[in-house]
Amino acid sequence: MPTLYDFDLSADCYKVRLLAAILGIPYDRHNVDFFPGMKHLSPAFLAVNPLGTLPVWDEGDLRLCSAHAILVYLAERHAPGGPWLPRDPALAGEVQHWLGFAEGLATSAGAARLAAGMEFDLDLAAAQARAHQLFERMDEHLWFREREGGNWLCRTLQPTLAEIACFPDVMLSEEGGIAREDYPALRRWSDRVKRIPGFEVMPGIFPAKIGA
Amino acid sequence: MSDMTWVPVANASDLAPRHVFQGRLLGQELAIWRADDGNVNVWENRCLHRGVRLSIGVNTGSELVCQYHGWRYANRNAGCTYIPAHPADAPPHTICNRTWPALEQDGLIWTHFAPVDPPRPESLGAGALALRPQPVAAAPELARAVLAGLSPEGFGPLGQDLVASGPAGRLRLMVQAADAGRAVLRGLVLSDEAPLPLLRRLSLVLRLARDEIERRAATLPVPAPIPHRSERVAPELAEMPEMVSGPARIRVRVAKKQIVGEDIVALELAGLRGTLPASQPGAHIDVALPNGLLRQYSLVNAPGETDRYVIGIKREAQSTGGSAAIHDSLAEGDLLAISEPRNNFTLRRDAEETVLIAGGIGVTPLLSMAAALRDEGLPFTLHYFAASAETLAFGERLALLGERMVPYLGLDAAQTTLALQGILKGPGADRQVYVCGPAPMLDAARATAAEAGWPEAAVHFEYFANTREIDTSSSFRIELARSALSLEVPAGRSILSVLQEAGVAPPSSCSQGACGTCMVRLLEGEPDHQDVYLTGAEKAAGEKILTCVSRAKSDRLILDL
Amino acid sequence: MSPQTQPDPFMRDQWYPVSALQDIAAGTPRVTKLFGQRVSYRREADGACSASTEDRALPVLQRYGCLWTSLGTPGELFEIPEYTEADRRNVAAGTVAVQVSAQRGIENFLDMGHFPYVHTGILGALPHTEVKEYNVEETPDGREIIATECLFYQPMASTVSTSGADVEYIYRVPHPTCSVLYKSSPLDEKRLDVIALFGQPTGEESFRGHMVLSILDDVNTDDFISYFQLHIFGQDKPILENQMPKRLPLDPRAETPIRADKTSIMYRRWLTRHGATYGVIPAQG
Repeated sequence: MPTLYDFDLSADCYKVRLLAAILGIPYDRHNVDFFPGMKHLSPAFLAVNPLGTLPVWDEGDLRLCSAHAILVYLAERHAPGGPWLPRDPALAGEVQHWLGFAEGLATSAGAARLAAGMEFDLDLAAAQARAHQLFERMDEHLWFREREGGNWLCRTLQPTLAEIACFPDVMLSEEGGIAREDYPALRRWSDRVKRIPGFEVMPGIFPAKIGA
Repeated sequence: MSDMTWVPVANASDLAPRHVFQGRLLGQELAIWRADDGNVNVWENRCLHRGVRLSIGVNTGSELVCQYHGWRYANRNAGCTYIPAHPADAPPHTICNRTWPALEQDGLIWTHFAPVDPPRPESLGAGALALRPQPVAAAPELARAVLAGLSPEGFGPLGQDLVASGPAGRLRLMVQAADAGRAVLRGLVLSDEAPLPLLRRLSLVLRLARDEIERRAATLPVPAPIPHRSERVAPELAEMPEMVSGPARIRVRVAKKQIVGEDIVALELAGLRGTLPASQPGAHIDVALPNGLLRQYSLVNAPGETDRYVIGIKREAQSTGGSAAIHDSLAEGDLLAISEPRNNFTLRRDAEETVLIAGGIGVTPLLSMAAALRDEGLPFTLHYFAASAETLAFGERLALLGERMVPYLGLDAAQTTLALQGILKGPGADRQVYVCGPAPMLDAARATAAEAGWPEAAVHFEYFANTREIDTSSSFRIELARSALSLEVPAGRSILSVLQEAGVAPPSSCSQGACGTCMVRLLEGEPDHQDVYLTGAEKAAGEKILTCVSRAKSDRLILDL
Repeated sequence: MSPQTQPDPFMRDQWYPVSALQDIAAGTPRVTKLFGQRVSYRREADGACSASTEDRALPVLQRYGCLWTSLGTPGELFEIPEYTEADRRNVAAGTVAVQVSAQRGIENFLDMGHFPYVHTGILGALPHTEVKEYNVEETPDGREIIATECLFYQPMASTVSTSGADVEYIYRVPHPTCSVLYKSSPLDEKRLDVIALFGQPTGEESFRGHMVLSILDDVNTDDFISYFQLHIFGQDKPILENQMPKRLPLDPRAETPIRADKTSIMYRRWLTRHGATYGVIPAQG
């Protein structure tokens, strides 16, 4: 059984849990007390991942230490040729674009959340301003995708890893003081992601159905 | 920006199915949502209970549910239909969210805060496209001034009215005053050009305008946000309310009359103005008939079916004028007076399984319950006893229940009891039973449930009427603790009529001990309960009395009035 | 809201937590906020702690796993007698910053009705939504509110059973921004676990919640206990940060209470009676 080195409140770890839930991939969860215990910097964890970052996917002799790398691996390993990582060159490029975009969300909206909620020493105002810029670009993109008859970030009929990579930092943005009121298309897209079969929540995110 | 005109607050396409749009006008946060029946709701974005934004709640297609405690608010009238913390209580009618008018035109959703509807905004014409809205962090007046100076390619200069016409077509821009320092730039365009490139081009125009507006705003002081204003709730709600409702009179029009079973007609009653008050499954209304009679009918309404009340009436062979008047004399378009819905037959939704048992036209409140349970995905079965397949009422609604509706046709009294024994075999933990039908069947169900060991609190009854003979031979005194009055109740008169004469009567309705409206607290004395409303345990406890039919075994009663 | 708003005397003259003791290493001073003011605190080489604003030293107290201080002249800190029982484990389970008033945070802590909706599958589960009648009263000295016989359905109510059952809670509010919850221990039904939320009002519309437990659990690690508490608190956070207004309204007609809210009704009245204005919207007249 693979092991996920995990922190419950981490947006990056949630990306992995979300895809694993949707694809029905079993794994053992190894909780690392990132906050408040800072155990990701403990010698025990640094022996697992010298970078001290979460999540880590440990499966046999494979050890992957970045959320997006794990997403790509899981999609190819468990759903090869499936909708999550399209083989079409243009679509494959689009997915990579959004994986990169999601890194930007993590260092803006994600950083704002760490600063506001867990009091990390980061520039909150700068992170919030950058997040608003990215949200506006996403909202505009999604608004025109809807006009074209599309529901998802890439020009696909089904959701892709782009959704999984971008969703957590968008949905948790209010914890970083970033309201989504100005981004109605982004809010609608979030509602659609919540309705993907197999979707699961994390603290801070509500399901599409009450009390589910 | 005046708040006395219609203002666009969303694009129609913002209201995706089962979605709640978050908006803002003049500092007021809005939750805007479309129900499955197409109706657009513009509400204050706030649950009345604890102030949580409804935009993080769930649009069920017929109701908006708050994420915090699951309070449900109905499409259209915004009345609270269910408070899960108190599953046995009907929420008071006065728990009603704040709403504003909604107008859908040219692909935009418009609202206003004026006391009466202003004239409709002028339409740009059929085929108008709504632009992608562009939020701006600046005062709306500044946004307006900058837009007035624009001259978008192909449309020409906009001017003060923000309207332009040119070879590319006709363009109208609008500024939604979200707050003192926030605005949303909106627009409509009518053009022969291909929509998508046109919308992209104009989206860029608005984005560049936004940059210019914000550049200018940066040199000005930031306006203070308009303070949040919420209406205060009704005083009676502020102190842990008792669940009561008043006898308000509502005028309705018979919008539709149709036959929905042998000797059964359905009436759809539409409000003459405004929205009808919220109702809950199990609720009934009083209907004042043209011939002067007052009759109670249960509402058949499903969740979200809030633009009308639907009732079903069976022609009774021994009709004293109620059902016959409706069947024979009432026509579509006729006006009627009705009461607000009252609920003595509240549906709990915290049961693991719900058993609904209907006899004849007693199916009406159970249809409403079944629809609510189905919508929420809660397990239930509707057992429906009727004389024949032809007398099954509301076939279309029954069809929606599929196999969860089990008919029992043409059974005699003994067979009915046998069937009830099967249905009520062994009470389960967390099962609730609701029975509505003719008195003999209810009596049989009550006895069967008691034999099978059901706790009284888990079996709920709604009598159509109290068919027992009321004994009015006793005479006694009543003392009113709070009014310091002492009154004589002679033989042949009810407590209620004596109270009415003294001007201290509680609200009342059926006058036959069936609806519970005239119930008052009994402080002392031994009651002679003759109603069918109170449960056995409540009667034994002797703390409440129905003043319309019940009397005293002791010389006097002290009432909490 | 201006960060310079001064606390009223009732709020000012209380002890407030500023950090879990375990998070204060010797040497380097740490900085936090109390009522919008910068407060720095440090641990000296001898283990003693100190706290100060820019211009004066503040009183300090080490109690219940936290460092407490005050901008006013505080009386005795409330008692949690269980905390000193020898067989209990005391765990500082984490500190979370929330953008809403501390009193909103306390009111949420006192609320059972949201369990099936917000803590689905853990502290509650549909369709079990009923808040049964319970008792709430002020202690005779008026210093504290106590709610007893609070029952709520919990799925997997104990570690030894997989089925749900009603769990009994007792709530204490001995302080305007602190509450102590007692809940039957899954390991020993006759004794109660203690879960406390100590609120540090950093501003009128923001607070830090320090979670401290005193429990009979000898199975789970501190990491797991912290994980669980942060999980629960993380579920409450989006609700709290979506409440409007962010300060707790004390006007009885500002919101719509129901019988299930008896404790919060009493809490709001209690705040009004003590003249609280900071972090709340006082009732008019």
